[in-house]
Parts: sequence; C-alpha cells; structure tokens
Amino acid sequence: MGWFTKKHEQLDEKKSLEEYLQRSHDFKQVSYINQHTNKKFSFSFITTLIDESILQENALPFLLEKSFETIEDIKKIIPIADLQISSDPSEMEQKLFNGYVLLTLETDQKNFAFIAAQKEVVRSITQPEVEFSVIGPKEAFIESLEQNLNLIRKRLPVKELIIEEYTVGTLSKTKVAILHMEGITDPVNVQNVTDRIKNVKFDAITDSSYIVQLISDNKNSPFPQLLDTERPDRVTAILAEGKIAIFVDGSPQALITPTTLVEFFSSFEDYFLNWILSSFFRLIRLFAVAFSILITPIYVATLSYHYELIPKDLMNTLVTSRREIPLPPILEALFLELTIELLREAGARLPTKVGQTIGIVGGIVIGTASVEAGLTSNVLLIIVALAALASFTTPVYKMGNAIRLLRFPFLFFAELWGLLGIVFCFCLLMTHLLRLTSLNRPFLEPIYPPRLTDMKDSLIRLPFRKQTMRPQTLRTLQPLRFTLTKKKKRGDIDE
Amino acid sequence: MRKALILSIVVAFALSGCVQKEILDDVNLESGSAYDYVNGKLRGTALVPIYLPDKAVENKTYSANSSLSRDFLSDVQRQSQDPIVTGSLKIVLFGEQLARKKGILDLIDSFQRDPSVGAGIFLAETQGEARKIIESNYGKRGTAIYISNLISHNMKTKDLPKTNLQRFLSDFNQRGKTPYLPQLRLIQKNQIEISGVSFFRYGHVVTTIPAEKMFFFKLLVDQYSQGSLKLKVGKELAAVESIRSKYKMKLVSRNTPAINVHIKVNAILNEYSGIKVTPKELKMIEKKLNKKIEFECEKLTKQFQEKNIDPVGFGHFIKSRTRKFNFKQWETDYQNLKVHVTADVTITESGVIE
Repeated sequence: MGWFTKKHEQLDEKKSLEEYLQRSHDFKQVSYINQHTNKKFSFSFITTLIDESILQENALPFLLEKSFETIEDIKKIIPIADLQISSDPSEMEQKLFNGYVLLTLETDQKNFAFIAAQKEVVRSITQPEVEFSVIGPKEAFIESLEQNLNLIRKRLPVKELIIEEYTVGTLSKTKVAILHMEGITDPVNVQNVTDRIKNVKFDAITDSSYIVQLISDNKNSPFPQLLDTERPDRVTAILAEGKIAIFVDGSPQALITPTTLVEFFSSFEDYFLNWILSSFFRLIRLFAVAFSILITPIYVATLSYHYELIPKDLMNTLVTSRREIPLPPILEALFLELTIELLREAGARLPTKVGQTIGIVGGIVIGTASVEAGLTSNVLLIIVALAALASFTTPVYKMGNAIRLLRFPFLFFAELWGLLGIVFCFCLLMTHLLRLTSLNRPFLEPIYPPRLTDMKDSLIRLPFRKQTMRPQTLRTLQPLRFTLTKKKKRGDIDE
Repeated sequence: MRKALILSIVVAFALSGCVQKEILDDVNLESGSAYDYVNGKLRGTALVPIYLPDKAVENKTYSANSSLSRDFLSDVQRQSQDPIVTGSLKIVLFGEQLARKKGILDLIDSFQRDPSVGAGIFLAETQGEARKIIESNYGKRGTAIYISNLISHNMKTKDLPKTNLQRFLSDFNQRGKTPYLPQLRLIQKNQIEISGVSFFRYGHVVTTIPAEKMFFFKLLVDQYSQGSLKLKVGKELAAVESIRSKYKMKLVSRNTPAINVHIKVNAILNEYSGIKVTPKELKMIEKKLNKKIEFECEKLTKQFQEKNIDPVGFGHFIKSRTRKFNFKQWETDYQNLKVHVTADVTITESGVIE
C-alpha cells in the first residue's frame, strides 16, 4: 500500500498547488491534442514569467505534429536545450516561478517535463555611473545575475573561477552567487562567506546592500565592511588578488570581501594611470577626507577656545567676518553643515532636472543670503563648502556617507573641549577602526597591523612590476602573483 | 557597555564646564603692551586692535597704573567692553625710564608664566615713553602687527640680531651671557625706527649701541642672510650686499684668557662709484672690509668689557670648553680677556657687465 499512498500524496500535492495557482491571474493551463496520436497534453505556466514565443515556435509545433508516446520521447522532438523530466511535484512550484513551463501528458500524470522559457527582461549594459572613470572599461553591472556573471567569466576564462550559488530570503528566493579563485583564495574565507550567506535570515533580499548589512562583522558600525562596486574590471582584479566577490540577483552592485579601509579610498581608475599619478591622487583623496571631517570642528575649536593659534595675518579676516554673527561658532557651524546636508539629501531624492534648481537655490540663495543676513560668516561658508566638496572625492559612495556622518561627533567634541575634544574623538574613532574587521581580517590593514608588502597598494600605488605579492592579509594559497623571470639580456646587434 | 557609554556621556557634559571658553569675537585680543615707569609707579598700556568692517584696524589703548607688574590688566578690564585676553600678544615695549631705573625682570617673569603668551613674541626697549609709540598709528594693519613685522624683517634680512622672549630668557638664564633687545625710537609722528640694541644686566639697561654698530654686533652673534654695508675705498664709495657670514670662536689660551673670533663673510658688490671694478679693486675692497670688520668688532668687544657685559657670550663659550669653570674668577678675568677678531671677506659677485 505504501507506494499507492505515496503516489496519491504526490497527485494531491500537484492538485493543491494548481488550485492555489489558479487564484493568481497570470497562471495559465492550456490543453492540446496531438494530431497523430490524439494524445492529450497540457502546458502550465505563469504568463508574466515566460516568453510565450519560445513555446509557440520551439515547442508547440513539434508537440502537435510529431508523434510521441511517453514523456521521454519529448526530449527527442523539442529543440530546446534546457528540458528536464521529473516526477517530483515538490519541484514544481520553484520551477514554475523560475520561468519554466510545465508539460504534462494526460496519460501519465506522474511524470512531467519542464521546458525553459524564461522571459529575459534585462536592461542593456550601461556605463558605470557611481564609479565613473574617464579611461578604462565602460561596462557596469546590471540587475541580471546571469549577465553579471557573464561579464566576469569573459574576463577570467579559467576553470579556477568557481561560482557557487545559494538562494536566500524566505520570500524573495534571491539567488546569491559567491565567486572565488580555486587555488588562490583562502578556503577559510570562502567557507566563512558561505556560512554567513547560508545563515542569512530575512524574508525579502532586494539588493546586495541587504547582504552587506546582514553579513557584516560589526553591524553597528557606520563604516561599510564590504566594498560594493559596479565595475566588472574591479571585481576581476580583486578575484585575482584572492578576494571573494558576492553577486546578488537583482542588484547591480557586487560585493567584495574581505576589504580594508584604504581600499575604499582607491578608485579603480588609479590602476589605469601611471603609478606616480595614481599615488598622488590617492594621497589627495586621503587629505580631502581628513580635511572634510576635521576642518569645521577645527574652526569651531579654534574660535571657541584657542584664539592663540590663529595667525596674526588671519585674525583680521576672521574677526571681521564673525563680527555681526549673533550665533556662537558651534551653532553657526551646525547651521551651515545641516544646510549642506539638506541640500545633498534633497538633491539626491529629487529628479535630476529639479535637482539642478536645488543646486542654484542652495548655492546662491542660501549661501549668500545667510551671509548677508549675518547668520553665518563667509569664512565658515567657504570652509563648509570646501569640506563638502572634499567629501565628494571618496570614490565609494557608501564610504562617503559614513564620512558625512563622522564630522558631527567631531563637532560635538570640538564644542565641548576644543582641540582636546577633537583628539579625544579621534581616539574613539581609531579605537573603533582598530577593532573593526572585515571577514575577520583587520580593517585597518596595512596601517595596523603594519604590513610593508601590502603598503605597495594602499595609500600609494607602486608600479605593477613591484606588485609581486598578493595582499598578505588574505592568506592566499599562492602568495606570488607572478614569477619574475629575468629579462634576457638583449645582445648587441653585431653579436 | 551601556553603563560605560552613559557614564562617559555624563562625564563629558560635566567636564565641559572645566574648559574656559573664549570665543574669538567675544574677547578683546591684546596684541601689544607697553610699560612705563612714571612717578614711581608702573603704568601699563594694553593695545587692542578693533577690526572695522572694511578690514581696517583701529588701535584702541587702555592704560592703568599699578604697583605690581601684570596687575594692571585687571584694572584695564574695568575699562573694556569684553574681557581682555593675552593670547595674541605680539609685542611688548618697555619705556626708557622703566628699563633703566626699575628693571624689566618682574614683567618678563610674568610673561614667562602666562601659558597663552607665546615664546616668540618680540620685546623691545624704547627711547622715551613706550606708551607714545604704542598709541601711534602706523599703517592699516594695526600697530602691533606693524611693529612686529618691522622687528621680524629686520632680524631676518637686516642688521638686527635675533631676539625674542625665548632668546632673551635663555640668554638671561645662561651664565656668561648678556641678553639684549632692540631699541625703538619715534622719529616723527606715526613713524618709528630701530635705533639700536640695548644690553641688559639683571633687567636693567647697561648700554645701547647705535644702529650703525648693529651690523658688526650681528656678525659676532648671529648669521647674516641679507645684510648690507657701505664703505669708502680710497676716494670711491662701495656698497656690498647679500652678505652671508659665519663666525667661529677659538679659545687660544685659558690662563690668561684669549679668544680668536674668525668671521667669514661672503658678499656681493652691488654699487661702486668708480669707473671699473677690476680684480685688483675687488682685492682692495675685500681688504678694506676685512680691516673695517676687525676694527669695529674688536672695538665693540672692548666696549662690552668696559661695561662688564658679555652679549657675545664669551663667558659661556669658555665655560663650555673648560672643566670646572669658575664664574667668580671669570668676573674679574673678563676684563683681561683678549679678543682677537680676524675677518675673511670674499666678494663672490661684482655685477654682470664688465
């Protein structure tokens, strides 16, 4: 009796699923009759997910005109590569929602076939917008996982590139791909990522940013601990370095882990430029970040506590600009900083065309008017505007956001204790950064722990010929990137 | 963790009261001060620049009498709208009467103790009342900046040897060395000049050398960068410029102390009233210069010995080369010190056109 009940259950399961699906408007079930054998067969599919032309052109004509007996025969007559035969009804739901068409024969309810007919609604590959570079590849990831993986595969056509796929999200069933290079990447790291992805507990994962927040080492830190990028070339480069990339279906941002703080300040364009130039730009960026975080707090601290530090030649300018201001420096600074934040936030939320108006309103009206009204000093206006400008130099958007936030605690401490407060806040920040890890690897590496070989590609970038070693912090299985063979001495032309 | 966080926030707020706030535009920044000795009382004058909207500076001074040195500030506070703070002090002037009769040591001491006063501020003695100099207006950027720049550029490029609070104190505390300060003089309304260098013993001015001798004094104690000198060569006049100099002292004898000072000077001839500068004439100029430097410098040291002051620091120099140096002995020995100055002038350029 055992086999009978099992079969019965299976049929029940199929029935109940079909009934369930009937409630959705886009579920369709159509029956046909073969012209030769008069066999009845039916398609079940979800119209919104499949490309009906595939059915019409590649499946239906053959099924109607060629003769077949069993479900196995179908494979011979339908010219579709992805055609699976199964007898497990539990697969049905997943397959139907992945864009397969269910084919059943009336005579054989137990077995059925899945015909792949996914509708690919994909936007075309566009230029990177967040990490734009003047030179270098102009491709950016899109929302389709398949397409994104295609971009990577094309750049790394070796068998060592392993792509593992997992499904996360109880409702969204999002596909997450983990990419690494076998034989280079530390297996411990891979295992770690895999475990974390498997343990993700959430209902709907709609973007890779969800994954970032769910698998980060320290979830309460404002600093992103996974680098997100939209550039296939960057992902390729870090895979070769021995890092791990995570792709999430439906997200145009790939994730890179483990990462370090300095990586957030390197734009991928750095690698396209000569090493002297790119080192210079990296240092500029670093300076810009320090400037953007510290300059307003320093202004507040000096004006409130340490007027001794102001050079005698600057005194006049500062005092005259502060003369009519009724607010103490901290309120003045907060007022302007908040204005800039408002402008930025409003600009980010509005459509581009309206955004331009916001820029004009912000720049001209608020800026000059507040100075003329005597609410803020024009020195501070320049400082805040410069700080905002400097904060835009961070190549990674998420890090830029973290930096936006950072200057407020600094301002607070500058008001409390002046420069001492700034130092104190800096100590807090350093403590936090030193404790931070990315995939259990120190986040501040190679500054702390100091690793000389990794310095070659951190705050500065040495020429490629010097970059013989993969980052030490990754503990790669193959620390040497390439073997340096001595160049053959070119003989004299006469010899 | 949470407890620590709450505690630290409470502590942060509680401790914030401990730091005194001095918001830039809510204080009066004392940029210069002058001290005089009038009728047996000390009179202090504080100079506070008032920055006008058109970026011009108005000089406002507050004066008060007091018996204690820095005490006058608290009297001055009663006259001023905002609290007067000393953090941006640039110059301190001492009147002639004060520097010669009462001494400036008490005042210097109070500057040394005030943490907001920098060690790089300039001190100067004045001919006549210091108050008159500080109350005058010179240029648009304020009196203090004017005087401070005047002194600093003369020290950097001209004949004034380097002095400031730090150097004054170090010379003062160094046995066998006499501190010195520049002397300022009002030449007409709203115009001042550096009239010489004054030498101090225990805070009192002992003697002053005129501006013409400053050149030779600087050769003995400092390095030149861009000084200039005029001299007569036969019938012609010559001017040399861009002088770089080095001095080297050598202890010749210890028992009857004798020191050789060798001064090496590199110069450019930039003006000559004669028709042509030939190598022969250059040699002549060099020779003349050597003689002049040797003569003037030796004259200066003789003068110092007579007044029993030692601004060059011969005492300090010998002490640094003598084991168990006896300063008591030195005080009498100093009069017998023989200083021999040798100069070596090289004229490196004499113009492009020959």
